[in-house]
Amino acid sequence: MVTQIPELGRFAEPALLILVSLSDGPKHGYAIMADVEAGTGRPLGPGTLYAALARLEERGLIEALAPVDRRRPYRLTAVGATVLAEQLRELKGFVDLGLRRLGSPTG
Amino acid sequence: MISLLLRLYPARWRARYGDEFAAVLEERPLGPFDVADVLLGALDAHLHLRGLGAASQHAKGFAMSLRIGGYAAIVGAALIGLVIVLTGGRTEGPESAVPIALLVALAVLLVGLAGMSAFQARSDPWLVWSAFAMTAVGTVVIFIASVSDLAGVGPGDWRDGLLPIGLVTAGLGSVLFGVATYRVSVLSRTGALALAIGPVAALIGAITVGQDAWELGMLLVLVGTVSFLAGWLTLGVAAIRLDRASSTLRPA
Repeated sequence: MVTQIPELGRFAEPALLILVSLSDGPKHGYAIMADVEAGTGRPLGPGTLYAALARLEERGLIEALAPVDRRRPYRLTAVGATVLAEQLRELKGFVDLGLRRLGSPTG
Repeated sequence: MISLLLRLYPARWRARYGDEFAAVLEERPLGPFDVADVLLGALDAHLHLRGLGAASQHAKGFAMSLRIGGYAAIVGAALIGLVIVLTGGRTEGPESAVPIALLVALAVLLVGLAGMSAFQARSDPWLVWSAFAMTAVGTVVIFIASVSDLAGVGPGDWRDGLLPIGLVTAGLGSVLFGVATYRVSVLSRTGALALAIGPVAALIGAITVGQDAWELGMLLVLVGTVSFLAGWLTLGVAAIRLDRASSTLRPA
């Protein structure tokens, strides 16, 4: 079986944020940080970013492209896209369950 | 400051990520949060470092399954289509060439099914592998019936009864695989639908032919066969595109 994002322990959440950030195309490290901060309103530290990037790359969920100057872009692999889609579906199910219990429309 | 922080990381980590990490740190002034985060990152790198930069063999295996499955699906479906076009749908051919060609095509399709199943099984393993098992059993039965027929082994009634059982089992397996592929939603959903609908239409057509509605039955068989082959071709192309997507994209 391919790695599940929750298996990444404390880096599961940053890893998920990174995969979502890369889902619309390759980005280098700083662009990922800026994209995550813009999307969530919370900063993603550079140490956390690279710890998560290294784990995602080890597991074949993302891959590095040729560097442009000193910036190296990363992109989602086919396996990474599959894992991300599955993870988002699971999260959506959980969110829907929570909202139903609260009596809110699930949209 | 940046160079000092970088030195806290292991040399192997710096060799792989040092340049780009330094470029990220230079993008904006470092605040206390950033420095603390980098210190924790350095500690983590020392504790965790193993095999950085190496692509996962497991992921490579999945990509290989996808590629082989895609090409096999295209070749198998194209071969069946070619045989049907060249023979006008007749299974009798000179020196048994037609049935042998169809058996080879079925075997190739089975390879395609195995490759795509291996890729998709992580999302819905029970359904995907059930579909594979049913199709594989049906294909083996078709092989036994056809090879026995070609070799003239066993009673004719036994062989004649076995072939439809194999065809129906393999057809239902393909339907199940189409449903599984549609649910997993990684490859083409259009191809999955075509694959699911084709064998059902062909089966209904075969039943209709035997009930004095020959023209309607043959039309359904034709539509079902075209849908079945189009489904495999579409899934094959989708699998290859998905595999290639990881080697042709460039930074936005």
